[in-house]
Amino acid sequence: MPVMSQAVLFEYLSLGAVLFVLGLIGFVARRNMILIFLSTEIMFQGVAVNLIAFGRYWMNMDGQSFVIFLLTIAAAEASLALGLVILLFRRRETLNVDVWSEMQG
Amino acid sequence: MDYALAVATALGALSIYLLLPRGRGSLVKTGALVGVLTLGAAMLYLLRWAGLQEGVSQGAGLNVFFCLFALIAVISATAVICHPRPLYCALYFVLLTLALAGLFILLFAQFMAIVLIIIYAGAILVTYVFVIMLASPGGNVTVADYDRVTTNPLLAVLVSFVLLGTVLQLMFIGKPRAFMAARPAGPVAVGMAMGHKILAGKPALADPKPTSKMGVMELLGVNLYSQYALPLELAGILLTISLVGAVMIARKNEPAAGVLGTGQMPTE
Repeated sequence: MPVMSQAVLFEYLSLGAVLFVLGLIGFVARRNMILIFLSTEIMFQGVAVNLIAFGRYWMNMDGQSFVIFLLTIAAAEASLALGLVILLFRRRETLNVDVWSEMQG
Repeated sequence: MDYALAVATALGALSIYLLLPRGRGSLVKTGALVGVLTLGAAMLYLLRWAGLQEGVSQGAGLNVFFCLFALIAVISATAVICHPRPLYCALYFVLLTLALAGLFILLFAQFMAIVLIIIYAGAILVTYVFVIMLASPGGNVTVADYDRVTTNPLLAVLVSFVLLGTVLQLMFIGKPRAFMAARPAGPVAVGMAMGHKILAGKPALADPKPTSKMGVMELLGVNLYSQYALPLELAGILLTISLVGAVMIARKNEPAAGVLGTGQMPTE
């Protein structure tokens, strides 16, 4: 593996930041419960880009190992979240999160 | 402060704000135009920046494939958060995953690229698509009301892009920092450094010792099963627990056949 320059690292880091921010916007702004969780997956992807770019930059495998854990967490989160979404959809027949706004404290 | 970067960030914020679905008077075309302008400006900026860095650090420069995959990734991520129909969002997410797999291959993470496609595009997204189809709104509406609107789009875009702008300004100002010096120097040092790091203080792994000749997958496997063996097992347990939990949560709420204490799982 040739050495990766810091300039290239920053290009990847900026892409990761952009993906994270796009996911954040989707998470905050969208109303559909499924899309909210899809937005968290975009944030996960941004973090994964960061981790792998750092691992490449420092020439070790820790970044890729962390991404494996990140994928595990993402899969666990997706299964639980979608189970909850199904449950909530059965109660109110809608995916709109505003329907559940009486749950706010 | 880098004003060109600030302007590009602001343009990006404007385009996302215009692209987010809104009830009346859709501005998608304007938003898309501004978005294309933003992406072009960002690419020009990166090109100029990489050219400036070329003199300072070797091998700087903009890879054509990086540009291609990064563009696809950003565009499809935007489409995921802005498309009014959830099924299309899921499909654009698959496109995002494929673009990121390409980027991972550029980063010498071939195994992670394949894993990303198999797990994300193959498993997680299929689950999402199933749930989208299961939980579609009743009647014959194509787009539900709540998919046409967003709450507080201005606030969300402002806060997020202030965050992004700050991060980018910090990254792209100034010269390469001093922490570069601490890095192993070249490909030969890599395998050595990895070997020392992985095997430091551990009873000898019988076989194989990490060397610079090992492939990416081998190195990853050695790293995972020596340095991160316990977290890996915990991750497996966590995944099992969450899957069982998901099954329990999503069970149909049927009345129990007999009285309680018959050995049946409790419903909610």
